[in-house]
Amino acid sequence: MPARERWTAVALGLSLALGTVVLTPHLRPAAAQASRPVLRISAIPDQNPEKLNRLYGQVAQLLAEQLGVPVQYVPVIDYAAAVSAFRTGDLDLVWFGGLTGVQARLQKPGAQLIAQRDIDAAFHTVFIANKGSGLQPITSLKGLQELKGKRFTFGSESSTSGRLMPQFFLQQAGVKLSDFAGGAPGFSGSHDATIALVQSGTYQAGAVNEQVWLANLRSGKANRTRVLAIWRTPAYPDYHWIGQPNLDRRFGKGFTTKLRSAILSWRPANPEQRAVLQLFGAQQFTPVDSKAYAPIERVGRQLGKIR
Amino acid sequence: MLLPAAVLLPLLLLLPQALHGGGWELVGQFAAAALQPSLDPLVLQSLLRGLAITCAVALVGWAVSLVLGVVLGLASARVVWQSLSGRCWPADLLARLLALPRSIHELIWGLLLLQLIGLQPAVAVAAIAIPYGTLVARVVRDLLDALPRASLSALLSAGTPAPTALLTALGPPLLPGLLSYGGYRLECALRSATLLGVFGLGGLGNDLLLSLQSLQFHELWSGLWLLLAVMLPLEALIARLRRHWSMPARLSLGPQTQRRPVGRRGRQMLVLLGSLLLLAWGAARWLQIDPTQLLHWQPLPPLGQGGWQEALALPWPSLIAGTLLLTLTAAALAVGVGPLLLLLVAPWRQGRALLQLGWMLGRLWPPPLTALLLLFVLKPGLLPAALALGFHNLGILGRLLREACSAADPTPEQALSSSGSGPRLALLYGRFSRVARSYLAYGAYRSDVILRETVVVGLVGGTGLGSQLRESLSSFAWQQIGLLLVAYALLTLVGEDLSDRSRRQLLGA
Repeated sequence: MPARERWTAVALGLSLALGTVVLTPHLRPAAAQASRPVLRISAIPDQNPEKLNRLYGQVAQLLAEQLGVPVQYVPVIDYAAAVSAFRTGDLDLVWFGGLTGVQARLQKPGAQLIAQRDIDAAFHTVFIANKGSGLQPITSLKGLQELKGKRFTFGSESSTSGRLMPQFFLQQAGVKLSDFAGGAPGFSGSHDATIALVQSGTYQAGAVNEQVWLANLRSGKANRTRVLAIWRTPAYPDYHWIGQPNLDRRFGKGFTTKLRSAILSWRPANPEQRAVLQLFGAQQFTPVDSKAYAPIERVGRQLGKIR
Repeated sequence: MLLPAAVLLPLLLLLPQALHGGGWELVGQFAAAALQPSLDPLVLQSLLRGLAITCAVALVGWAVSLVLGVVLGLASARVVWQSLSGRCWPADLLARLLALPRSIHELIWGLLLLQLIGLQPAVAVAAIAIPYGTLVARVVRDLLDALPRASLSALLSAGTPAPTALLTALGPPLLPGLLSYGGYRLECALRSATLLGVFGLGGLGNDLLLSLQSLQFHELWSGLWLLLAVMLPLEALIARLRRHWSMPARLSLGPQTQRRPVGRRGRQMLVLLGSLLLLAWGAARWLQIDPTQLLHWQPLPPLGQGGWQEALALPWPSLIAGTLLLTLTAAALAVGVGPLLLLLVAPWRQGRALLQLGWMLGRLWPPPLTALLLLFVLKPGLLPAALALGFHNLGILGRLLREACSAADPTPEQALSSSGSGPRLALLYGRFSRVARSYLAYGAYRSDVILRETVVVGLVGGTGLGSQLRESLSSFAWQQIGLLLVAYALLTLVGEDLSDRSRRQLLGA
C-alpha cells in the first residue's frame, strides 16, 4: 500500500480523535452544571411541542422568580413516559391529565396534588367530524352509533379527554373499538394532531379536549368549513399539577406549600401571569382534592388502563 | 430470486380496499416540504443538538458493544475453551445463554431500562450495547471456530502457553472479519439510536417524531436531511475502507477460508479502531454517561391483582399470527422487490440513480415514521406496517445487492449483451444468477431481523404483538408486558434457528 494512503488513514484517525477533544467543552449539556437542586417540571405532551416549549418556558421562568430556585422544563415524548419519569424521580412537578395523574399517584405513593385550573373540575370532550364525512351534530349519547364504520382517531393512548372518557361514552352508546373502519381506532398522539388529521380527512372523526378545540377555533387553525363539532360529552375532572413526595426534603421545609400558593396566586391582572394563564386557557388555578378523581380511577380500571 | 416479489400481487389487490385517500393533501404537503426544509435557526439548533446526541449515543453504544462482543465472543468460543481447559461445554452453554439478550430488540431493551432506571443517558447506550454486544459475540465465536487450527495446534504442541498461542495464531486472522462486521454495526447503531429517539430516548428521533405528529413537515425535513448528511458519508467511508483493506464483502456470509496476511493493513485498522474508541470515550463524557446509573434500579410499581389471568387471556394466537404474517410480508417485499426494481430500471441511468435515492431514504427513515405517514392514506392494520418495514429493509438489502452485483464478474453479462440480449436479460442471467444464492441467504438472515423489528411498527398501531405491547406499556400492565416479551423472545429464537438452517442450506449446496 502506498505511503500516502497510509498517512491519510492515520491523519483521519487523529483528526477524529482531536475533533472530540476540541468540540467536547462547547457541546456540554447545561443540565449538570448546577450544584443547587433544580426543580424539573414537565407536562404530558398533549399539544404541539412548540406550544409546550413556549408555555412551559414561561412557567419555568415564573416559578423560578417566585420560588427562588432554578427551574428547568424537561420535555417528554409520550404520556406513559411522563408517568414513568415521575415514578423514577426524574421529574419533580408534572402537569398530568386525569388518567395519567391517577396512574402517577398509584405508582408513586405520597405524590402530592398541587393545583388544577378552574376549568378542570368540569371538563369536556368534543367529538369532531370532517365535513365530507356526512356526520351531523348529534343530540344524545345514542347518536354516537353514527360513528360505526367511520375512520376514527383518539388522541394519545393515555389521554383522559382524548381517549379514556370518549371511549367510556362510546362504550355506553354501544360502540365497540372494533366497529370503526379498519377494525381499530387511530391514536394521533395529541389533540392538535387529532384536529389536523380530521380536518385533512385522514380520519373522518375524532375526540378532542374541549379547551384545545376552542383555542384552535379562535386561532383559525381549525377551519369551520372543513371540520365541525358533533357532540360535547358530560363533565368530568381532568388536568392537574402533581409534585414529588420529597420536595420539602430537597428544597427546604414548607417548599410544597410555597409552590402551591405560588401557582394559586397567578392572576390575569399581572401581565406575565396573564400570558401563562392564557396559554393554559384558564382564568386561574384552584386547589384540588384527590377524591374528585375517584370517577376517573373507576373508569380507568373498567377500561383496563389502571391496574 | 424474483419469487418473493410475488407477494406484490396480493398486496396490490388489497391496496385499493385499504386506501381511503383522506390524507392525500397531507402527503402532498409532506412531499413539497422536502424541497423547502425549515431554516429557522432555533429549529436547526435544536436539530443539530439532537443529531449530536444521536451520533454520540450510536458511537458509544457501538464501542461498548464491540468490546463486550469480543470479550463474550472469546468466552463462548469452543477453540478458546478447548485450548485453555480441554473442555467445550462451557462455551456452548454460554453461547446458548447469549441467544436470549440477542433475541430482544434494542427498542424493547430501551423501554425496559427506561422503566427500571429512569431518564438517564446511559439507558440508550445500554439499550444498543446489550443486543449488539451479543450479536458481535456470536460473529466472533463463529469466526474463531471456523478459523483453520493448524497454526494453533503447531504452537500448542511446541509447548507455547495456551493464551499466547491463541493470541498469536487466531488474533491476526480474526481482525479483518471483525472490523468488517464492526463497521457495518456502526451504521446499524446510527439507525438504532435514531429509532430509540423516536420512542423517547433522546436525540434527533425525538424531534422527528414530534414534528411529524404536529404535522410540521418543513421541520421534519430539516431533520431528515441532516440525518442523511451524516449517514451518507458514513456509509461511503465504511464502504471505501472496506475496499481499501480488501475486506470480505458482506454478502459472502460463509466461512472465509482464504485469508491474506495482515501487516501494515492491520496497523492502520488498529489506529482507526483506537481513535474511534477514543472518540467514543469523548462522546461518553459529553453525554455525561455514568455507568453506575445502571445499578440504581428504581422499584417497579406494584403488580395489579388478577393481572396474570388477564395476561393469559390476551388473544395470543391472533397476536402471534399477526406478527408472523407481518414478518413474512415485509420480508418478501424487502427481498423480492429489490432485484425486480433493478431489472426494471436497468436500461436507464437516471432510473438507477433515482432507485438508489429511494433506497437511501428507505434506510434513513425510521420505519415508525413511514408507518405514520402511510396512515394518512391507508387504513390502519397490517398493510401500512408491512409496507413501512419492507421499505426500510429494501433500502438495506437493495444496497447490498447493488454492491454485490458491481463486485461480481462482469464478463457473463457483457457476453450476453454482445450476443444480442437486452440489458434486462443480460443483468438477470449474467449477474443476478451469480449472486442469487448469497443474496437469498442474506435475505434469510434479514427476515430474522425483520421478525425482531416488527415490534417497532407494531408500536405505531400496526398489528400483532407490538401493538399489544404498546397498549400494555401505557396501561403499566407488567404481567402482560412480561408475557409479551417472553413470546417475542421465543419467536425470535425459533426464527433465528429457521433462518440459520435455510442459510446453511443455500450456502452449503
